[in-house]
Amino acid sequence: MTSYFTITFSFIFLPLSILLYAVAPKRFRWAALLGTSLLFLWHLSRQLTLMFLASALVVYACGLGIEALIARRDRLIVEGTPKKEARASCRRRMRLVLAAGIVANLLMLFLSKYLAFFCEITRAVLVPFGVDAPIGIPPIRAPIGISFYTLMAISYLSDVYRESIPADHHLGRLMLYLCFFPQIMEGPICRYGQTAEALYAGEPIKRGRLYEGALRILYGMAKKIIIADRLNLLVETVFDGKAAYDGGIIAFAAILYTIQLYCDFSGAMDVALGVGRIFNVGLPENFRQPFFSRTASEFWQRWHITLGAWFKDYVYYPISLSKGCKRLTSAARKACGNRYGPLLSGGIALFCVWFLNGLWHGAGMQYLFFGMYYFVIIMAGGLIEPVAQDLSERWGIDRAHAPYRVFQTLRTLVVIFVGELFFRAKGLPRGIELFSTLVGSFSLESFADGTFLALGLDGHDLLISAAMLVLVLAIGIARECGKGICRPAASLPIPARWSVLIGLFLLIVVFGAYGYGYAPVDPLYAQF
Amino acid sequence: MSTEDAIIELLEDLCPGVDFKSCTTLIDDRRIDSLTMIALVADLEDKFEVDIPAVEIVADNFNSAAAIAGMIDRLVEEDLD
Repeated sequence: MTSYFTITFSFIFLPLSILLYAVAPKRFRWAALLGTSLLFLWHLSRQLTLMFLASALVVYACGLGIEALIARRDRLIVEGTPKKEARASCRRRMRLVLAAGIVANLLMLFLSKYLAFFCEITRAVLVPFGVDAPIGIPPIRAPIGISFYTLMAISYLSDVYRESIPADHHLGRLMLYLCFFPQIMEGPICRYGQTAEALYAGEPIKRGRLYEGALRILYGMAKKIIIADRLNLLVETVFDGKAAYDGGIIAFAAILYTIQLYCDFSGAMDVALGVGRIFNVGLPENFRQPFFSRTASEFWQRWHITLGAWFKDYVYYPISLSKGCKRLTSAARKACGNRYGPLLSGGIALFCVWFLNGLWHGAGMQYLFFGMYYFVIIMAGGLIEPVAQDLSERWGIDRAHAPYRVFQTLRTLVVIFVGELFFRAKGLPRGIELFSTLVGSFSLESFADGTFLALGLDGHDLLISAAMLVLVLAIGIARECGKGICRPAASLPIPARWSVLIGLFLLIVVFGAYGYGYAPVDPLYAQF
Repeated sequence: MSTEDAIIELLEDLCPGVDFKSCTTLIDDRRIDSLTMIALVADLEDKFEVDIPAVEIVADNFNSAAAIAGMIDRLVEEDLD
């Protein structure tokens, strides 16, 4: 069992987890979920599970520490200490406890994921000064999901500090919030207030929810096994192979990789949300038809939504609304007006967000480049927007009109495909090489002479992928119009209900990219 | 002038052309983007002499002029306590 898309997970681990949960008395169902979650973590990370346990204990203790200081402040106020004085006397200590919790978690993340990368950078910086000492560190493995549960731990501590949630006195509930097994590998990045209570509540398994969850899980599996794993064949050939390809093939591979990543990651989210639904835990949606976006900024509000929201709440606004940035905004607005004035502090906060976003995705220059790429594009969008508005008014272009919206969507798709090309490339130099070829020797010859069919995907594979993509697109359009799929299906007459479920299952069995000629592909976002 | 009217005036200065009296989806429909939010928070803090912490920057508090007014009244009251 290396992912949610294995037979062991789907046919053994998940059914047994549901069974254990269903037979456990209500007050111990949370323990059944925690037990299965820790077992899942242990199976994937072995002794590194101890790192998770250490992290959970630190978060638990710091949460209680912050709450004790809040209680002390309130007591001082009740006893007659002036409010400002009481607040000031506790705030410094609260900040210290919060910082200790965040630093401890980030340190574990840094040591296991980024230390080697930073040693490499340090060495590269020192070489021009005549220092070429190899900085050797033993390879350190990271427990699965560390990037995800670290962000959840930080959000929990920050929310306790901000007093938007109380600290959890129940260690088991807090641990379950951090490591619930369907979300530990790839998210979504939940907030404590969104899931902790439902995880602990131990609601019974109901037939309707079981059906809806199973349907969502199968839909996610179909996206991953029929489309993503199939497209991987061509993507791997072009991105990782030694052969030279023309620009047309590289553009094709970049588009297919974007589709692969979407189907892989959103498929895993469908599985996570489906499992959550079975246990009556409403995990937050992580995708909202991202390819319908009209700007890069909108794309990031529709793609990996919980990561974007996390950065907005815990990095962007705390920086842009800090005292220093507020002073900067005020001065800049006097000089440049309301539209351009906030750009300076907004830009500083946005830079931090995208630097961290790039780094979060991986320890590599291509990921930092990926972050900076979106920083530049979103900043440029902010600068150009007032000019674009003026020009479209002057030239009589209706920006709400369909042709303009289509133009915006196509433009955004190009931005996304280029970004994903650098993201997928094995290192920044390879990304630059691929992009240079794409631009410098763009040709459609490989499509005219059929060479593109010899890169791992034949016509049959492309046809199956395209047909499944049409289904995904149709479901996406329905969702965009506010129509769900799983709930209406659950209210169909029983024969129709079972036909949908069995039909989807057979679709995966018949058209899935597994077995001879295909290699199993680990979930792409689990490595982040 | 009520808190809500004063807020509508501030919003109209920042984003002309939006019907702030009736709109209840300012954040959900992205009428207020993150840059406008930075300017709006600065204006609200100056006008009403309150600190608006980052934790208050949520859609529920900014989706309408009335919601913003509710948040401001609450923060002012908490400050006076």
